[in-house]
Amino acid sequence: MGTVVFPGQERGRNSPHTFWDSSECSVRHGCPRALTPALGGRGVSGFLIKLTGQGFLTEVVFLGFFLFQVTYKWLSYTLGVHVNQAKQMLYDYVERKRRENSGAQLHVTYLVAGNLLQNGHVCHKVAVVREDELEAMKSKLSTIASVHVYSIQKALLKDSSPLYNTDYDIVKANLQHCSKFSAIQCAAAVPRTPPEAPRAPAPAQSPPRHRDPDGSSTLNGHGPRAAKAPPQQQKGIMGMFAAKAAAKGQDTAREAKAEAKEAPGVSATSSKPLTKNSIMNNFFGKAAMNKLKANSVPEQPKEEKEAVKPSVAVAEPESSPSTVAEKPGKKTESARIQQKDKKSKMKRADRSDDEEERDPENVKKKRKRIKQLVSDSSDEEDVPPSPTPEEERAPSPPPGPVLKTELEPAATEVSAGGRKRKRRRVLKSKMFIDEEEGCMVTEKVYESESCTDSEDEFPKPKAPAPQKQPMLPTKREPKEERKNPKKGAAPASRANKQVSITGFFQKK
Amino acid sequence: MVRSPGWVWGCPGWGGEGGRGLQRAQRGSDPGAVCILGVEGSFSGGPVVPWGDSGGQTLNSPVCFAGPDRAVLAPSIPRFVLQTRGRTPRMFSERAAPTAQGLLAPPSGEPPTFPRVPVAAYSDLSQPFRLGERSFCRQYAHVYAVRLAGMRPCLERRARGRWGEDIALRRLSELQEGEKCCVVGTLFKAMQLQPSILQEISEEHNLVPQPPLPKYIQPCDELMLEDELQRIKLEGAIDVQRLVTGTIVAVYGREEEDGKFLVEDHCLADLAPPLPWSGPSSDRFVLLASGLGLGSMSGEALLSTQLLVDVVTGQLGAEGEQSCAAHITRVILAGNLLSQNTQSRDTINKAKYLTKKTQAASVEAVKMLDEILLQLCSSVPVDVMPGEFDPTNYTLPQQPLHRCMLPLASAYATLRLVTNPYQASLDGVRFLGTSGQNISDIFKYSSMDDYLEILEWTLLAGHISPTAPDTLGCYPFYKSDPFILTECPHVYFCGNAPRFQSKLLQGKDGQRVLLVTVPDFSATQTACLVNLRDLSCQPITFSSFGADSEDGDMEVGH
Repeated sequence: MGTVVFPGQERGRNSPHTFWDSSECSVRHGCPRALTPALGGRGVSGFLIKLTGQGFLTEVVFLGFFLFQVTYKWLSYTLGVHVNQAKQMLYDYVERKRRENSGAQLHVTYLVAGNLLQNGHVCHKVAVVREDELEAMKSKLSTIASVHVYSIQKALLKDSSPLYNTDYDIVKANLQHCSKFSAIQCAAAVPRTPPEAPRAPAPAQSPPRHRDPDGSSTLNGHGPRAAKAPPQQQKGIMGMFAAKAAAKGQDTAREAKAEAKEAPGVSATSSKPLTKNSIMNNFFGKAAMNKLKANSVPEQPKEEKEAVKPSVAVAEPESSPSTVAEKPGKKTESARIQQKDKKSKMKRADRSDDEEERDPENVKKKRKRIKQLVSDSSDEEDVPPSPTPEEERAPSPPPGPVLKTELEPAATEVSAGGRKRKRRRVLKSKMFIDEEEGCMVTEKVYESESCTDSEDEFPKPKAPAPQKQPMLPTKREPKEERKNPKKGAAPASRANKQVSITGFFQKK
Repeated sequence: MVRSPGWVWGCPGWGGEGGRGLQRAQRGSDPGAVCILGVEGSFSGGPVVPWGDSGGQTLNSPVCFAGPDRAVLAPSIPRFVLQTRGRTPRMFSERAAPTAQGLLAPPSGEPPTFPRVPVAAYSDLSQPFRLGERSFCRQYAHVYAVRLAGMRPCLERRARGRWGEDIALRRLSELQEGEKCCVVGTLFKAMQLQPSILQEISEEHNLVPQPPLPKYIQPCDELMLEDELQRIKLEGAIDVQRLVTGTIVAVYGREEEDGKFLVEDHCLADLAPPLPWSGPSSDRFVLLASGLGLGSMSGEALLSTQLLVDVVTGQLGAEGEQSCAAHITRVILAGNLLSQNTQSRDTINKAKYLTKKTQAASVEAVKMLDEILLQLCSSVPVDVMPGEFDPTNYTLPQQPLHRCMLPLASAYATLRLVTNPYQASLDGVRFLGTSGQNISDIFKYSSMDDYLEILEWTLLAGHISPTAPDTLGCYPFYKSDPFILTECPHVYFCGNAPRFQSKLLQGKDGQRVLLVTVPDFSATQTACLVNLRDLSCQPITFSSFGADSEDGDMEVGH
């Protein structure tokens, strides 16, 4: 095989990168440096990758073993080569290893496709099979349409779900151009007009979340993702392996992440940061992944955060990745601040994790905390170490808006005397005979009735107050902000609750 | 480089015009001598080399194609699959066979990339199933009224054709005892086992919930015929168990002394008038899949789904297979993208404070769906129909999923979110299908056991979903019944069937309909490919080891 040169596709980058150097992987030597960004970034991130002979592939596949296994798709995305070439590379690698007799412990899975007679009828069968079943499957097929290597792994696979998991991460990391290396290109499949595309998802999800004074909704929305992913990954060698690497690769993770983020986005959809992280999961596995997954949650609204600068207090610590990477002083400072009041961090764990993760001292605590977060989202909400803030977190922010909607089912007007005149909308069903149809029609109509309610005076003046309280401090005092919502807003909310209860009893 | 008899090697920029010219020339001199398959329009949009024309021979002399140059592909080498005479290849495997082992070799050169065959003509004809204003205050009686009014002319025509032009067509109010006549009306089947909310309410004392049964029919069920004014009980030569409520039938017989109608014969609306055939002359495939069932899957089922995506998007397989997959012009996902398990009822049964912070199971599943659709959409046009368990309205016709649920995939113009009964013209071939609720509902209330049989029966009954307002949720239409079949589709399918079946139905008036029951993918790992050229259909099954590869029994009838 000759030399294949892959032109840089996105941008050049010449700083050597510490990713592999500081991790404990022993692959470093012999592995072209150019490979690392390809692994750390997404697909080909702009290097001239020179594939000289087969040695390179050896290393790549070897690297892949750190990831438990190599599928053709993983290889294709990682090296940025055509899928068919990736399949051939894997085949060639296996052949050579076998010839050298060092491939004794290689386990290969194949993809076989062809016609299968089932119940006398012809069916196109596409199957992934282990090597030992390959011939059996081939003999079953009346016509063979395709045979190629699907994956190589060290361990003998009991079932095929690890294959899916490996591909899932790499596909997810490359979602935006997932058909780039495939053998079919579709001219019609282009994103809608570029300005429209990013806008569509962004306003739909992020801004409301960002403005939300209570972090709970964000947490709720994303908790289960973090909760669900780890069990998938913990299977097999990969998990074990990665758990070890995670401890030492701590700061590397930081580095790599920062650099991954620096890569220019093709299109600024909200899934972007997520996908970048997930490739890293391959390397840092279980523990790091918990972190990263949880971590990726607050990053989603990142793009708008820059736009919504006024709320610096909230956005500053987790500000855009480039500032983090360039100003380490600032970063650690903010981390220290956070260490001081961990309780408050608990409260807003989803946001503050981001910086925490960069502080090496914090690793253990954080990991624990994230687990709590995870379990928290999936039903029971008690947290052993510091139940108070956690408990309060839930009730404190919502009461404002929630109460309001509950107490005022109808529009109210404040009359001059301070008494409220209440207008109620009442649902009444009207029945009449439709002339056109000649049938009876029942329609439900809202009618407004006005009435005065003396009970309502009571809660009214207080209802707006707690609603504002948690919001204002977050914007104005960056440091008190953490205590305020907890100590200030919580009593207020408690008072608030009681008001609503008394209101309830007074009606009787 | 390896040359095998099945391959012709060319150069970039060759092909296109010349290829076609050659084919024509060769065919002219010696019919069927050469047929060039594959790689349609792969070079600078050049003209198309049609697929699937009948057999050819292996080419011995070098072929030269002329056409516009395309430097971009250098040094890749386009390949044309030669189809040999004597075989009648229909689907993927035969075409792909010559290159099956092609990837069991060291890398050599840049592999070819195939362009997705563009959709020549597409029009969405589901407008009748889209609901503009939605008013639920009306009675369902109108649905039956408009259905009867809409289908009466057709049935009267059939009755005259069957029992003679001079037959007496009567309304029920005009019936005279003993007179032989024909009556057109709506069937009503009185079934004791039919679940009824009224029954539950009236038996309030010690209310036992009615157990869900596979079938609700009983030998003592009775059949009535209703028209605009009254009803009459039917007896005689009519299969009570087989027919279902809501069907419009014409019965021939006479009224007995006891006030019952003795049926001698009956007929259904039969196939609707045919549409002109303007399908493609070359092979184009449409992939039908249903019941992805995201949200409750094991790793293996997920792998199968991923394999399906990979085949369609051209990741999997050898070159021959990929070039075949490039001829999949559209993917139709017929409902139940999410699993039933995502519909947890916890929020209804549990106290609110317990479920306040839990996330609906469907949220994660929809995210996964978004990712799968994104992969598909970046390579092929996809039509997504909602199904019984999908997050849209429950009553038929189900409205499209909202695109905000799929932020990634909906960025692509290739994603079409469509209604549940879905009707479209793809390359001149009319598709009509549902996500399967109509068929599975009839299954419960009829003695028919076979989904394909039921599917065919609905076509013959001239109505997509006769049981609709009775036992299946349906919007209270009052001006027209959009489920009446006024034109005979070319492909009529239902999703979420227990297994794959297909049948080519020939009508008396020249109708040709491919009936397909699209199996539930999560259970069978099977989808199906419809060839638009000749309306042939083939299942495509995915399996991985660990899974039992022998499951999923297939049946294709012709």
